[in-house]
Amino acid sequence: MHIPDGYLGPTTCGFFYAVMLPIWAVASKIVKKTLKAKQVPMLAIGAAFSFVIMMFNVPIIGGSTGHAVGGVLVAILLGPWAACIAITVALVIQALLFGDGGITAFGANCFNLAFILPFVGYYIYQALTYRAPAISNRRVLAAGIAGYVGINIAALFTGVEFGLQPLLHHTAAGQALYCPYGLNVSVPAMAGEHLLIFGWVEAIVTALVIKFLQKQDTNGFPPKTCGNDTVGLNAETTNGRSL
Amino acid sequence: MSFFKDSVFSDENASKNGFLQSLDPRIKTITFLLFLVQILLTRNIFILLCLYAVSVLLACFSKIRLGFFLKRTWVFIPLFSLFIAIPAIFSIFTPGEPLTTVKIAGLTLIITRPGLSGAALFIARVVTSVSFVVLLNITTKHFELLKVLRIFKIPQIFVMTLGMCYRYIFLFIGIIENTHLAVKSRVGIKIRPKKGQRIVASNITSLWQRSYQLNEDVYQAMLSRGYNGEPLVLNNFKAGWQDWLWLLCALTIFITIR
Repeated sequence: MHIPDGYLGPTTCGFFYAVMLPIWAVASKIVKKTLKAKQVPMLAIGAAFSFVIMMFNVPIIGGSTGHAVGGVLVAILLGPWAACIAITVALVIQALLFGDGGITAFGANCFNLAFILPFVGYYIYQALTYRAPAISNRRVLAAGIAGYVGINIAALFTGVEFGLQPLLHHTAAGQALYCPYGLNVSVPAMAGEHLLIFGWVEAIVTALVIKFLQKQDTNGFPPKTCGNDTVGLNAETTNGRSL
Repeated sequence: MSFFKDSVFSDENASKNGFLQSLDPRIKTITFLLFLVQILLTRNIFILLCLYAVSVLLACFSKIRLGFFLKRTWVFIPLFSLFIAIPAIFSIFTPGEPLTTVKIAGLTLIITRPGLSGAALFIARVVTSVSFVVLLNITTKHFELLKVLRIFKIPQIFVMTLGMCYRYIFLFIGIIENTHLAVKSRVGIKIRPKKGQRIVASNITSLWQRSYQLNEDVYQAMLSRGYNGEPLVLNNFKAGWQDWLWLLCALTIFITIR
């Protein structure tokens, strides 16, 4: 879902940089205000964690594999604003050092993966786990649903961004200057592969990791990381434990 | 995994005594951003091909092996883009003046002029952009490249997180490699998808728990080095006459082409 350079026109690239600037500013302000000095490394760990999650190939039915983005998982673990910073940092490293995701399309990539994905997923998870005990299957199911919906909404936005290019940038003869496919092709293509394959990968990984974390709560996780007084800014606390 | 490590974390090319390696990373990054903006704005395939030639020449002047450079730039993103651009040359997706017809599996498909030129422009734009990004990446030491971001007045929290995150990625990749090797040595055969999914999720969980434990140790290490809540980053960049000359050249190309 990382958009490379050359797929989006200058208007779209500029627009998403303009949209992301205030989001980054707010995220930076909120996280700096609520983050204790002791938890500063946690943010970097979260960024490295979200980078590394994308390297795990998950086996899917039919002998194939796919990889999760982990945006919703990071949002559940760190809170949505901290996740926004962590995923942005992971995307910077991917774009600059790995060439995965463009530099001119960086604003659009951050909008889809560091804003839409964690925020949609996080609030769906919060809504579905309202008053649910920390160790409950509802949280596992909610994490899976949040991962599935989050990645699909992000994919829908990506499809729309691709599909708008022939409308926004073309010559008089109808020649496309950037992504050559319109909304009728790009949206079904992006939505289809995520609804059928990658959405399930994201759902399985998010749900199973939350399930394992519930089981192996060895170092006090999740309460200390996700409590309101730490990196996770809006996590709900239940019986002294939050998730 | 080894390809990933070799391609991403190797500073071998950045340590060579070539043209781009000798430039101040700040000036180099700014000029490469100018090239990327130029590539984004141009509608002329000839200009794109000229810029692509500039990137190849720069690679040669910087003592980058041409085979390595072409492999790094063409494999994956441009090849993937080529694959997805092929249907766009046909009239089904891009109607317009017909150029020729081809028969594929009994189907007669018409290749149109706007379709073909649009796809060519798209591929040229993608490969030229990727070439400049890869060139910047392989000719600059990674910690310097991340430090350069400070000149864009990025909030301190991003810059600090970026520097720390880069180091953690090394550590995490090591942990994943060891875990993968351990699983492989115990399982040894192909496993069912469901079991595979559980192993992956368990690995991610274990990675998170190790990371969480590491947080405390890292903070203590930061404290012992004098961290008081405000990060201090050393700035040892120095721009010489050749950097300003290169900036002037890049600006001239930018203004002339526009």
